[in-house]
Parts: sequence; structure tokens; C-alpha cells
Amino acid sequence: MDKVDGTEHYNFKAPADLATLQVIILDTNPLAWATFEKSSSLSFPAALSQLLIFANAHLAFSQSNRCAVIANHIDGVHFLSPADPGTDHRDPGEADLTPEDLKEIANQNASKYRVFRLLEDEVRASYRRLIKNTTPEAVMACPNSSYLAGALSAALTYINRICFGGTGGRSSGVPGDEKSKVNSAGGKVDETGRTMHAKILVVSVTPDPANQYIPVMNSIFAAQRLKVPIDVCKLRDSTVFLQQAADATGGVYMEPEHPQGLIQYLMMGFLPDHLARQSLILPTKVDVDFRAACFCHKKVLDIGFVCSVCLSIFCEPPQGAVCSTCQVKLDVTSLENIGKPVVLPPKKKKKKKAIDSLPESGVASAAESPVPTE
Amino acid sequence: MADSDEDFVLSSSGDDRPKARGAGGGGGGGGGAAGSSRRSTRKSKRADGAPAPGATKREKWEDIQRSWDNVVEGADGSIAGTVIGLLEATKRKRLLRDTTPIQRGIIRHLVLILDLSSAMLEKDLRPTRFLLTLRYARDFVTEYFEQNPISQLSIIGMHDGLALRISDMGGNPADHLTALQEKAFTVEPKGASSLQNALEMGRAELFHTPTHGTREILLIFGALSSSDPGDIHDTINSLIEDRIQVRIVGLAAQVAVCRELVMKTNDGDDSAYGVILDEGHYRELMMAATTPPVTKTEEKSVPSLLMMGFPSRTVEKHESLCSCHSNLTKGGYICPRCTAKVCFLPTECPCCGLTLILSTHLARSYHHLFPLKNWVEVPWSEAHTSTHCWSCQSPFPTNQSQTSSIKIKIRNPSTTAATATASRSNGATTTSTAPKNDHQQQQQQPPQPPTQRYACTDCKTHFCIDCDIFTHESLHNCPGCQSLSEERVKARANMWPPSIGDGTADAAGEPTSSSMRTQVAEATKMLENSKIAPGSSMEVEN
Repeated sequence: MDKVDGTEHYNFKAPADLATLQVIILDTNPLAWATFEKSSSLSFPAALSQLLIFANAHLAFSQSNRCAVIANHIDGVHFLSPADPGTDHRDPGEADLTPEDLKEIANQNASKYRVFRLLEDEVRASYRRLIKNTTPEAVMACPNSSYLAGALSAALTYINRICFGGTGGRSSGVPGDEKSKVNSAGGKVDETGRTMHAKILVVSVTPDPANQYIPVMNSIFAAQRLKVPIDVCKLRDSTVFLQQAADATGGVYMEPEHPQGLIQYLMMGFLPDHLARQSLILPTKVDVDFRAACFCHKKVLDIGFVCSVCLSIFCEPPQGAVCSTCQVKLDVTSLENIGKPVVLPPKKKKKKKAIDSLPESGVASAAESPVPTE
Repeated sequence: MADSDEDFVLSSSGDDRPKARGAGGGGGGGGGAAGSSRRSTRKSKRADGAPAPGATKREKWEDIQRSWDNVVEGADGSIAGTVIGLLEATKRKRLLRDTTPIQRGIIRHLVLILDLSSAMLEKDLRPTRFLLTLRYARDFVTEYFEQNPISQLSIIGMHDGLALRISDMGGNPADHLTALQEKAFTVEPKGASSLQNALEMGRAELFHTPTHGTREILLIFGALSSSDPGDIHDTINSLIEDRIQVRIVGLAAQVAVCRELVMKTNDGDDSAYGVILDEGHYRELMMAATTPPVTKTEEKSVPSLLMMGFPSRTVEKHESLCSCHSNLTKGGYICPRCTAKVCFLPTECPCCGLTLILSTHLARSYHHLFPLKNWVEVPWSEAHTSTHCWSCQSPFPTNQSQTSSIKIKIRNPSTTAATATASRSNGATTTSTAPKNDHQQQQQQPPQPPTQRYACTDCKTHFCIDCDIFTHESLHNCPGCQSLSEERVKARANMWPPSIGDGTADAAGEPTSSSMRTQVAEATKMLENSKIAPGSSMEVEN
């Protein structure tokens, strides 16, 4: 009878069609944008409005899609949207406007989809506030500063909060736990306990922050764990960090040839969500360089030597067989003969043995072998 | 039994009668004393909620812990504050670990021994011990290679008195997962388990591994007995000789020989032997083995230089066979020494035996060497500086509770912070006493809801408990420290909480650890700088 029972039909679970959270990490270093504008004729305001169109397109896909914008500024990382609660939410630009102007703006925006308008207003207002608090001296003081690791960390903690309810994407593995999760979240949950998918888009004009190698790598591995792809739109200075980030997390890496048409790249390359990406060939970079450089001479290596304690890389065994990083005495006996012809082991011992064993063992019989035994 | 009658007459209360009668017989005098003291502790417990210090040792089952005693109504009559506090305490319990940078065995060789005997058919774990163990074993393999990308693993089963080889020593998680699927899931748990057979097979796989790596065995033991062909103590001695460390997770009860085995192979430390309480605890114990073990000075492991290849990835127009699985693949990695194509990293080149890794695999292990510092709980007196979690933007509770309790509060947080730091510094030992203190305080004054803020000691930024756990378990970065310029971090140096140096004293800490930390930091900086070179050169190529 069980086979005829049709109740199973209702228990069928389609793969959860979850909404997507898009986190945009935007470089807002004014000096980097100014130099970039000279070479490419794409100004920051133009790029920002194109990004906002992209964000709106993402929000238009589903009512429950969400978007967050994080600024990677010269003095640190700032959330543009959602704006810091507790700060003044009014647009500082609006202070100079007369009530008539405000009314006109309101009329212009009256027919705009509310979700779009809220995001645009919030991002623009926060950005104006950010620039207002930035002095030209500060900009000149740090021309290339970037807080990529901080921005990625902030994005990931935010994703962890929104998409996983703070559980870090790890189901505890205890039977019956899934049930409780569905109940507590109240909404749709997939098998890993996430309530939303997420992706990160990094729009970058600054070079790699060289002193942040380990934090950036840590962020990349955390993103990998959460199964969050990091998409990279690198407008200037191709970088190794972001290439590896996109490669390791399965994101898209693009360096637009014609930055004026940024919106085209964004829409075609970065907009598809996680379900659509399964059936698309993504425009990503395939030849990522993973070769390491040694600590001693900074040579790029194919084959190197690695300290087993601290994992430092050397191009040749260090002097005195002491690791220059952790000062540990290393055992290099196994490496000493590399590249040299194999030397036969000394035969003294063998001879002795052979002499000792001559009378009774097989060696003796071999010597006597010409004489046939009866 | 005349004196017992006398006792009966002399005793003032009828309550003491049975005890006194017992005392009359032979050496029962001590029992009577214990009985009276027991009664006195019960009285004192009723009075101040804590056992009298002079009480004789009591058995564990005599201590009754009433979970409802911990829940105390707040000033407004709700228990929400206590509930949140308890939730956070359980979440945070996992985090309070020692963060001194310690030398760890990053390159590991581990044999996972699973019990596949008939004891695993017990259904005390859902669905059965067997199925749950295999499920956890799968998770363990994934987690192990995530944490230790350049390590090796092998899986053995204890089945019907024999040791059953499930997967060979290897560094590819996919191989182990398929082996588990094909060999372990299809096996019907049967017969007795044999510790000796399994340990000997594990030892045979480990004793020839290079000396710079660790040699470990993780044994999941569901049975309570072992049927061995010889003397298990001989095996234990040979394990010690080959410096193999054994960890055991018991599923049923503590077994004396397991304890001895763990103690002898871990220099007298039996903390690596755990018996599970429930499914969650089982997982916790098993996953604890994914963290690289601390290197002890007396160990004979010899650090050495390893020759490794950093292959470059290629993409071919036509498919070709990979040398590791003989599969047709279009892309792959080319061994720099013998130009064989492999499809998966990290691995050992099947042709020339060179270890092939990516530089990212090395980077993955760095967080074990430089753990993120623990964050401290923020007292209400400092809580006014933040309204929301810095990194996930979730709002913090405000101190809407009465102003009268603030004075108490200022004293209270310092003590709770002290207990928190104490339990942090010496791990689980003080955690048993800490709740009692809290309990006492809670009885004396209405409990204050926790601030739910946790502050990094370097950048003084406030975070929520979820971000605290996420950053310490997955991210290993402080989002605040990474997002503030050095000047801004310096400007905050005088804010609460005070910065904690690296020198949090720890007996196991290597004397060179702090200097090593700075030196490795310098060296990695060099690595980063040099990292840019290949990128720029590649740009030219393209």
C-alpha cells in the first residue's frame, strides 16, 4: 500500500529557490579615481551611477533580493548601504537646497520604484557624508591605501549575519537540527542552513595592499567556506590577490578594456545569480599564476624548499641549515645529495660481514660454486 | 549491638537514627560522620547556595544541578536577559581558547580508525552509531583537509576482529570520501573490534613517514571490549617508540586500556581521550582532532626542509590523460620536474614523487601559527560607545534597565570579566567554578542582561557574538583591525579594553614563539611583496 500512497508527492522538495544578497565593495580612494579618470575617461560619479543601475537590476530580479554597498576608503572601511544606524541620515547635499528644489526632486523621483530609490538615496547620501569628512591632505597622504582585507571581512560577516543567521554556514550535524532551523528562520532554508545566497563584487582601482597578504587569504578561504563567489571588476592595475580570490571562490574576474562601458560589463558578466551561473560559461581568467616566490632572493620558483615548521619558502637550502624565519635548525641530510650522482655506500661493513659469514653462509657456497656438489 | 541502643537513646533527633545504627556496626563510624556533614552541607546550601568548604568529598551523583536555579527573573519580571546570557555563554564557551602563538605540527599524518563492530549497531545515537559515525567521518575528512591542506590521511575500520583497510595514506580528500562511500557504507557492522589489530595496521602505515611530520591516530571506539591476538601493551610500547600520538573518542563509556593508551602515547596527558555525551559532543570531540597538535619540546620530531614543486596551471585545446587518475581532462597542473600532468592539487607527483602544492595551500595553514586574539566582553559602563555591531550592522541592546542598578553593574562586570579572562587563560579548569560564582551573584542582586558586545583588544571595535564566533572560527581576521588605518588604531590605544600583549603566559608556549611571530610576519611581508612580481610579469605576457 505504501507504493500507492501519494503523500510523498507533497513532500517533494525542489531545490530551494533562495533570494540573493549582492555585496558591492567599491574603492572610493579619490586620488586613485582621479588618476584613473585621466587614462580612461570614466569618472567616479559616472561609475557610481552605473553601479547603482547594476544594483537596481539585481534588486529587480526578485522582491526579496538585497544589496549592500561597502566603501573601501582611504581611512578605512565604511558601510554605504545599509548606512550606519545612529548617524545622521540626511543627505548633507540637501542642506543647501530650497524647499522648492526638494519638492522638484521628490516629483522627479515620485514614479521611481521605491526599493531603487531607497538604495540610491542611501548610497549617495552616505557617500557625500564620507567625502565631506575627507580632507585633501588626508587624500594626498595615502595615495594608494586600500583596506581590501577589512572590506572583505566586513562583507563576509555581514553575509554571515544575513544569509546564515550568524551560524557560519555550518550545520551542527545533529539529526533533527534541520527541522529546528526551518522553524526558527520561518522562511526557506536550504540544506546547509542558509536563508539567502550571496555574492561579492569588488570594483577596484587601487593596487594590491601588499601588507595584507595573510588577512586577504584568510578572507578568501572564509568566502570559500561560505560558498560565496567573489567577483572582481579590476579597472586598473591587474592584481594577484584578486585574481586568486576570484579563482578560489569560483567568481568572475574581468579587466574591462573599455571602462566607459562599465555598465555593459557589469550587466553581462556579474549580474547572473548562482542558479544562472551553473548553465553559463563565465568570462573569467583561466591562467592564474600560483607560483611562489622564495623568501631569500624573491625569485619566482617552480621547485622550492619549504621549512616544515613555519612554511617559509627557500630557493636553496639556507646557510648553516637554519631557517631564517623561525631560527629552527633544519635537517637537510636528505637533501644534501640532490643533483649529485648517487654515491655507492661504503663497502667496509659488507666486507666484514662477508668475511664473518664466509665459512658457513651462502657467500661461501657461491665462491665454491664452480666445484659441483655431490 | 548494645551501643547502638545507646546511640538511639542519646540521639536528639529521630532523623539521625538510621545513620547512627549503621555507625554501630564495625568501621561505620566514618560513615556516620559523613552522613552528618552531608546533612550540614545540605543545610548550608539552603542558606547560601554553596556547599560548606569543610564538607567531605561527595560523589558526583550526589550533587544535583537544577537548571532552573540558573534562571533568575530580571527587574522587570522577565527572564529574557538570563536566557540571552545563557545562550551567549554556550556559544562563547567554544571560543575561549588559548591564543598564544604556539608551534604546531602543520604537516600531519593521521590514521582515522573507525569502529565497525556489532557495538555500532546500537541506536543510542540517531539513526545508529554506525551511520552517524560515517556521516561524521565524511565531515571530518573535508574539515581535516581544509585545515591541513598539506597533510595526509588514511582510514582503517575495525570489523569482525580484523582491521579493514578503507583508504590508503593520501592527501586527496576526494579519494577518501569515495573510499568511505564504497567500502565503509557497504560494510555491515559485525563481530568484535580489535584494538591491537587496528593499531598495528595504523602503526605500519605511520612508522615510515618522514620525521618532520606528526604521526597521529584518531580512534573511534564504540565497543567496550577488544579481542586482541596478543598483548596490547606491547603494541602501546611500540607506538610510543614510533612516537605515534593516539586520540580516542569513546562512544559508550570510559575503558581503562584506552585511557592508558592515550596517556602513554601523549606524555601522560589523557585530555585526548573523550567519551561522548550526545551527538553534538561527539562531533565536537571528533572535529577537535582537525586542529594541528601542539609541538612539544621533548618530541623527537626533526624539523627539515621539504622539496616542493609549485606547478603552473595549463589549459589545453584537446583533452589528454592525467597521470594521477588516467582521466581525460582539458586542464591541469604540470609537474615542474617531470612535466607530468596532474588534475588535482595538493598531491604527490605520480611519476617523480615531488610534492606539488599551490602557494595558497601554504597560506591556508598560517592561521594556526598566528591565531586571532580572544575578544573580551564589554561591560555596561563601556557599552554606550556603540549602538550596533561594527561588521554586521545588527543593533545592540541599549541599557534601558534602571539607573539604580548601574552602580552594582560597574562592580559586577569587573568580576565577570575577571572570571571570563580566568577561564580563558586556563581553559576548562575554571569553567566549573565560574557558574557557581555567577549563581551566587545572581541570587544577591537582580541579574543584568548581558551587553552582547564583544571588543577586540587591539582596535577596540565592538562586535556581536555571532561575528565573534564567525571571525574566530572561519575568518581568522579582525574586521576592525583590518579596516582601520594604523593611525586610527593607535589613536584608540587608550580606550577600553586595555591591549593584551602576546605574553599571556603559557607553560606549553615555546620560548621563541613571540619572536617567531614577528619574524614570520616580516618574512610573509617579503612574500607578499614578491607576490606582485609574477602578476606584473604575467600582465606583460598577456
